[in-house]
Formats: sequence, C-alpha cells, structure tokens
Amino acid sequence: MSDELLIVRCRLGERAAFAELVRAWHDPVWNYVRRMLGPERAEDVTQEVWLAVFRGLPRLRDPARFAPWLFTIARRAVVDLLRDEYARPEPVDDPDTAGPDGTDLVVDRSALGDLLGALPAREREVLILFYLDDLPLLTCAQICAVPVGTVKSRLNRARRLLRAALDEKGYPR
Amino acid sequence: MNPDDLLARLEAPLSVRRRLGYLAVGLAGLGGAGLIGALWATEPGLPAATAAAFALLVLVGLGWAGFGGWALTRRTPLYAADRVLAGWIALAAWLAGGAGVAVIAAVRGGLPWPALLVVAALGLAATANLIIARRRRAALLARRRELTGRP
Repeated sequence: MSDELLIVRCRLGERAAFAELVRAWHDPVWNYVRRMLGPERAEDVTQEVWLAVFRGLPRLRDPARFAPWLFTIARRAVVDLLRDEYARPEPVDDPDTAGPDGTDLVVDRSALGDLLGALPAREREVLILFYLDDLPLLTCAQICAVPVGTVKSRLNRARRLLRAALDEKGYPR
Repeated sequence: MNPDDLLARLEAPLSVRRRLGYLAVGLAGLGGAGLIGALWATEPGLPAATAAAFALLVLVGLGWAGFGGWALTRRTPLYAADRVLAGWIALAAWLAGGAGVAVIAAVRGGLPWPALLVVAALGLAATANLIIARRRRAALLARRRELTGRP
C-alpha cells in the first residue's frame, strides 16, 4: 500500500491505518534514533517522535512529503538532546575537490553500526539516513535542512572518517 | 523496541476516551460560562460582590473551555472523523445552551442585544465548523477512493 493511501486513511481516523503506518516506518525511525542517541534514550525518544507524528498528521497537507516530515520530527528530537555536538562548527570542504572519500569501503551493516558512534553527529546522521535507511539524497537534504551539496560533503567526510576508524580497528582493506 | 511495543505505549495518549474527556471539559466550561453570562446579563442591579462572583465564574468557565480547545487541538490529534463528530457535538451543545438562554430570556422578559449577538456568533461558528469538517472529510474520502480505485 502506498504511503499516500496510508496517510489519507490515518487522516480520516482509521485506527488500523495507524498500526500499518507504524509497522511500515518503525524500523527506519528506530534505527536513526537508536544510532544517534544510543539504546538508553532511544525508546522514550522514539515514542515521543511517534506521538508528535500522530498529533501532527491532521495538519500534514502533502502526504507525498511524509518521509522527510517524519524524519524532520525525529531529527528535531535528536538535535534537542545533542545540542553540544550540533553546536560545534562544521568543517568546510568542497564535495567536488575533497580528497579520497573511502568509496572503496565495503563494510557490512552491523560493523557499520558499531563504528558510527565514533563519528560526529552531522556525519553520523547522513550515513544513517542515506545508507542504513536508504533515503534519497534529496530527502536527506530536506530532513537536515541543508542543500544536497552539503549532504554530499558530509557523506564524503563521513566515509573518510569511517575509513580511518576502520584502519584504526584493524579491519582489512 | 518493536512496533507492537510502540503501539501499546501510544494507546493511552491517543485514546478516544481521553479526547472525549477534553471535549466534555471544554463544552462544560463554555456552557457554564454562557449560562452564567446570560443570567448576569438579564439580572439588572446586581450588588458589586455578586457581579464580581459572576465574572469570576464566567472566567473560570472560559478558562476550562480554552483548556479543552487547546488540549483537543494541540495535545491530541483530531482526525477527519473526530472533527465531524466534534462538530456535531458542538452544534448540539449550542442548541442546548441556546435553549437554556431562550428559557432565561423568556422568564426575564428579554435579553440584551450583546448577549444575543454572542449566542448568534457561537451558533454561526458551530455551524461553519461542522460544514468545514464535513467538506474536509469528504475530500479525504474522495482521495481514498481515487487511490484504491474502489467506489
């Protein structure tokens, strides 16, 4: 069933559609929140995110924008708890001229999950959204409220940092 | 945490009973404020202390009405079906309140025009709210039919 139909059914007030929506989107949201905040805070924050989603659904005008809207709510909750990390200035680099970005990297998802904690928040979130939640670049940009180019820069930087973390832990190249 | 755990956690804050509770609180506050306001408006020459007490009661009633409205629109979601139901309940409450005000007016031999204006404005607001809620629900139902291809 399409997201739009699910959203329309939710906005009509169909209880069964709420459950279907949660089942469809729980894992991506849970992955994002848990990997950004750690398991201790993830349950309460995920619950708050979904509560905000159901409170806000009657005002969601464009069901096609559900994914970025959902993750924007989740990101707001995460940023609230990681203010210090997000307050740090972001390194500036050009996505087209940046050095080797580690795209030769082949890491399974569980290993990636273990290493994510070592990355700064901005780089960590784009890796989670783009690679683990399989969201398109444009959607990642909408969620993070930055241009697509900035998302690409963060992804490049994240891959370089990840490569360095892999080398440090002795993963084979 | 799996989706079932999450749905169980969301059950209480999203329950219909809680929404109906907020609606009842809001309507009771509005109805109480309206009736006391009508009594006050039709009783000339009240002592200052009684007028102050009436004013306080009207304020308390409006406060509860405001809280009910805020909670319904901000603390709990009001979906299309809920809005239509809430619209009907609001219209029924206005009719009941209007009947009470009419009885008071008949007993006291009339009602000052500002009070009549307030009653009429509330009736218009309740009717407009119901019409808008029904239109929005109809639009969503039409979209659901388009997406499912079912009549």
